[in-house]
Amino acid sequence: MRRRDLGAAAVLLVFGLVAVSQARGLKLGSVAAPGPGFFPLGLAIALSLVSLGLLVSAFRTPPGTVPPRADAGGRLKVLGALGALLVYALTLERLGFPLGTFGLLLFFFKVLQRQRWLVAVAGSLATSLTTYLIFKLWLGVNLPAGPWRL
Amino acid sequence: MDLLASLAYGFTVTLAPANLFACFVGVFVGTLIGVLPGIGPVATMSLLLPVTYAMSSTASIIMMAGVYYGAMYGGSTTSILVNIPGEAASVVTCLDGYQMARQGRAGPALGISAMGSFIAGTLSVLGIMLMAPPLTAVALRFGPPEIFALLLLGFTMVTYLTAGSKLKAVAMALLGLLLGTIGLDPITATPRFIYGSLTLADGLGLVPMIMGLFGISEVLLNIEKGVEREVFDTRIKGLLPTREDWKRSAAPIARGSVLGFFLGILPGIGSIIPTFISYALEKRISKHPERFGTGMIEGVAAPEAANNAATGGAMIPLLTLGIAPNVVMAVLLSAFLIHGVQPGPLLIREHPEIFWGVIASMYVGNVMLLVLNLPLIGLWVQLLRVPYGILFPLILVFCVIGVYSESGNVWDIVVMLGFGGLGYLMKKFEFDPAPMVLAFVLGRMAEESFRQSLLMSRGRFDILLTRPLATTFLIAALTVMVLPVVVPPVKRMLRTVPLEEAD
Repeated sequence: MRRRDLGAAAVLLVFGLVAVSQARGLKLGSVAAPGPGFFPLGLAIALSLVSLGLLVSAFRTPPGTVPPRADAGGRLKVLGALGALLVYALTLERLGFPLGTFGLLLFFFKVLQRQRWLVAVAGSLATSLTTYLIFKLWLGVNLPAGPWRL
Repeated sequence: MDLLASLAYGFTVTLAPANLFACFVGVFVGTLIGVLPGIGPVATMSLLLPVTYAMSSTASIIMMAGVYYGAMYGGSTTSILVNIPGEAASVVTCLDGYQMARQGRAGPALGISAMGSFIAGTLSVLGIMLMAPPLTAVALRFGPPEIFALLLLGFTMVTYLTAGSKLKAVAMALLGLLLGTIGLDPITATPRFIYGSLTLADGLGLVPMIMGLFGISEVLLNIEKGVEREVFDTRIKGLLPTREDWKRSAAPIARGSVLGFFLGILPGIGSIIPTFISYALEKRISKHPERFGTGMIEGVAAPEAANNAATGGAMIPLLTLGIAPNVVMAVLLSAFLIHGVQPGPLLIREHPEIFWGVIASMYVGNVMLLVLNLPLIGLWVQLLRVPYGILFPLILVFCVIGVYSESGNVWDIVVMLGFGGLGYLMKKFEFDPAPMVLAFVLGRMAEESFRQSLLMSRGRFDILLTRPLATTFLIAALTVMVLPVVVPPVKRMLRTVPLEEAD
């Protein structure tokens, strides 16, 4: 029995079943005039069936080689990075691009990579400003300016 | 021959200094944004629209077209060197191109990719010239059943792209189709799975999805693994592919060009689907299909040829019918309209300088790109050799900029991050993202054509069997599905027979 595949198949199955229940709320129409729910319901049912198949297959295959467990530190970094990016996205319009990017880069340089303060600050500053200049002023991309109306 | 005279005329138009310059700017910017992950030809072309107000209509179209096919050249560079697709259409190049780079063969990969793109681009322009009229006649006869059957074919082929569990690939494809239903129903505009969010009402964006699944997730995996990134300490020597490489790539390039060109003509296909199908084709007919994904040069040559040929093919409906077959062409259409020119059957008569000028410029542009790409690769390599610790935050920021610049919606960034996390998990649990992305892209079209077919036939499924084109595609799809089930037992049967005879 392969634990990983089992877990993944279970998640997929749950998702499929939830999709089925959600799709049933939509109008199915008839075969001659399919409604909005026709396709999604069919897909959700198919997905549930396939996940069931994956579940069964996961039970029946021998474990095989188990990949080495990633260290907890690595996974923490990944969560940290995702979290930082999420905060960045949600505050981007309020803080503006230069400030927000500065903060994000500072986090990456300082926290994830343990650079020295001077290097981290200088690097973040330089990068956020140059990217802002290149994208907003030269290429004309519409980036939020933030409180300083640059 | 009248054709040659028209082409010669086109060249005189293209070689006028203003137009030549526009071509250069277009292909250069195209390559640049192609290399940079996060910004694509659609966004760039839209940004350049106001810039073209001051230019002549001919120069504007030439420049915009240059951005489009230039981006196809540039996109392969990052795919090969960093395993992040610079362009959505370069996703497939990552599969074998990056593996080649890891084996120290980045040079030949880049070289073959550039050469293949050039050959394909040139061939596709030739194709446009020769085949525009009859091809549009065929495409006009495509109704919903044909489109659906063709999509089904593309669909089954992509599921066989996956090395590894086919069942998982099918699950991913179904998931992609389901995600494609989020938003407004294409036929009745009923909201589906929106839960009150305006962002979701537009459906999940393809750009956030691709950037997340391929860009963000790759970075996350690298953050977890630790700092040492293999951006090739070894010098990229031998930019030129070996004779062996050439021999192996010649046929794939030819096949990719033809496939890409014809598929690119069809509405809705774009340049992503031809690359997937081309890769699947090469894998199917190869003597070593199991080696695909480990650095087979055919896996780079064919898709690269296909995507460049597809950009040429996509121009046909626009230039001859005035129909934009995909989003990029839609932007080009706007460029035409802004200058008061109506593309379509009358274009060649009323504005021959634009029609032939653009065609000639594509020849010129391809040459420029070849010249630009090969020497400048050293530059890109230097760029990408910057330590990963500095590189990855930049990549992340570019991805964010790319997504935000397209819609101005912060929530699209959140969607991208969501897919980034999903992609990370998928890689950990050995699920292939490619079928999901393709199914997502195809999904809307598939559902529309499916429902329209049923509407046309009033509920009878045999409509697919009474129309010859549709039936052909359907049979092909069934063959692809059935092949892996049928072939091994047949092979085994064939092997046991001689043994018995030897008794």
